[in-house]
Amino acid sequence: MKWKDMISMALGNLFKRKVRTVLTVAGVVIGTCAIVVMLSFGFGIRESMEAMMRDMGDLTVIQIHADSGSSKSTPLDDKALEKIKMMEHVVALTPVCMLDPSQVTVKSGKYRYDSMIYGVDMGALEAFGYKPTQGTLPKKEEENRTTILMGKDGAYDFIDTRKTNNNMVYAEPDKNGKLPEPFLDPMKAKLQAEPTPPENSTAKVKPVKLNCIGILEEDYGKSPTPSHCIFMDISLAKELQAKYEKLNNVKKDKNAPEGYSEASVKVDAVEHVSEVEEVIKKSGYSTYSMNSIRKPIEEQMRTIQMILGGLGAISLLVAALGIANTMTMSIYERTREIGIMKVLGCVVGNIRSMFLMEAGAIGFLGGIVGVGISYLISTVINTLAAQQKGGDAMVGLVSAGSQISIIPAWLALSALAFATLVGLVSGFGPANRAVKISALTAIKQE
Amino acid sequence: MSLISVKDIRKTYRVDRERVVALERINLEIQPEEVCCILGTSGSGKSTLLNILAGLEKPTKGTVKIGGQTVSNFSEKQWALFRQKNIGFIFQSYNLLPTLTAVENVAIPLVFKGVDKTERTKRAIHMLKLVNLGDRLFHKPTQMSGGQQQRVGIARAFVSRPQIIFADEPTGNLDSKTSREVMEIMVSLAKRYRETLIVVTHDNEIAKYADRIITIHDGNVKSDEPNLSILQTIHSEKQEENA
Repeated sequence: MKWKDMISMALGNLFKRKVRTVLTVAGVVIGTCAIVVMLSFGFGIRESMEAMMRDMGDLTVIQIHADSGSSKSTPLDDKALEKIKMMEHVVALTPVCMLDPSQVTVKSGKYRYDSMIYGVDMGALEAFGYKPTQGTLPKKEEENRTTILMGKDGAYDFIDTRKTNNNMVYAEPDKNGKLPEPFLDPMKAKLQAEPTPPENSTAKVKPVKLNCIGILEEDYGKSPTPSHCIFMDISLAKELQAKYEKLNNVKKDKNAPEGYSEASVKVDAVEHVSEVEEVIKKSGYSTYSMNSIRKPIEEQMRTIQMILGGLGAISLLVAALGIANTMTMSIYERTREIGIMKVLGCVVGNIRSMFLMEAGAIGFLGGIVGVGISYLISTVINTLAAQQKGGDAMVGLVSAGSQISIIPAWLALSALAFATLVGLVSGFGPANRAVKISALTAIKQE
Repeated sequence: MSLISVKDIRKTYRVDRERVVALERINLEIQPEEVCCILGTSGSGKSTLLNILAGLEKPTKGTVKIGGQTVSNFSEKQWALFRQKNIGFIFQSYNLLPTLTAVENVAIPLVFKGVDKTERTKRAIHMLKLVNLGDRLFHKPTQMSGGQQQRVGIARAFVSRPQIIFADEPTGNLDSKTSREVMEIMVSLAKRYRETLIVVTHDNEIAKYADRIITIHDGNVKSDEPNLSILQTIHSEKQEENA
């Protein structure tokens, strides 16, 4: 018997019993919809959680801290950093060193800078996702020790040293919503840095000329945050700090480890963060990444999804019973027909195939319609939610632009495959029953 | 060589604790192109014999050979394939598929054989025309009379040109006039295609159409003789021709 004929006979049988077929398919439609829509909520929630965490911090950055105060701890020096940099999945790495503005003076004429200074690997900033609003980021090849970058509000951190009152401009908009002009434009002003000498000291220090080539976009997801700060080359920062310590006779803590106190590592993808973090931890450093927050949230998400998916699965199970019932009824009705087919030379394998095809077709049809309706439901829900989001509190949970219900293509396809499978499995018992019908008793039946 | 050879067939059933003997001991040889009638009363075992010959039941003992092949120990699948090729069936209650048209019903055995749709429709229409149903091609069984339905059944049995046609009380549900029509069509088709026709019946009138009448009584062959009346008819026809 040809496949084409088996398929057309199977579909013909479904078509002949329209009402029953429609009702059974409807069961599968509801089941598929339930699973797909429920899971789509899960994906939507997961997506908005991820978006929320992205706002909180870069998910692919690991911060490393050298354990201070213990002589046994591993130093976070260039050699150690080089080793980490060579690790698989590590895209970029920078040591981070914080300078206090009281230790290193950055000034431009009468204006003195009074906020954080970070020493970093300037060439790595681009890989970490820092973006300039003005100017450019330093290119790796044209590294220049005197190049600096200013955080978004860094220009407002200059103090007029000749005044004692009203000597600062605050980055707060006035009544008209306009920001006041800062004292100077760091891109144009002549800036210089020098280690701060002790008070009343007459020692002469040689200032280093600085060249600000860009203003960074504010991003609280980054650490260090490019806001009220200056980014400077790590070697210059270290040198200035060393000079300050020498000038002021600061005694070094002998137990303090050599090298940097902090470093940031950028990993190529979220999935590899924990793997890289684990290795770094084993080398004796303490680490921090968004991953440590992400994991419990993700586990929670999974639980929610499983509950939602389970609810959907129950309705598909009911649909499966519906299919089995329909097919069994169909066999009782068609006992005689099956008998005739056997007597006329239909091989039992063909009979089984036809029944399985019928059951599979019910599942497949239900799956297609179900997935279609799920997309419809999903669109409606997302549209309604987007309208509601206009002013109210949903924003807290669902960050802008994200959707409540998301149906990935693979979910749609696997739902379709699953519905078909459910059809086939439910049809299996009845099909085997059909095969066992005795031709003789079937044709004798009146 | 005979086409069908039945040797020492015995069939017993178990009804509750009692053993019922349907066929005691049957030996038969049926020749190719023979039109033969198995005559017997209800409960004589004639239907059981037919079922065994067609592979719908297995004998308790004995062997059946068709065309030299021992078919009595065929598996279900072997039987299905064997029936596809070699056996046509005509039933008392027609056993047409109620949802299919006459043409589709006649084409069914060809569907199982894997014949192309255009080809099988062509052959089905040809068969239906031969049984004088050219004007009922696309009617469903419920839209036809009993005689018409049985003619669809005959067309279905002959459509794949099997070697053997089994007919189980083919006129059991028909009046005497229609019965005669049906028998004439059946016998003439069998002769035309040089096929072997085995008719099971309890009706002596029907038996007259056969070349050979085998009477079964209580599970045994009671008599097995050529149909004298038909021989006489042929004889007289020949004489007429000669005259």
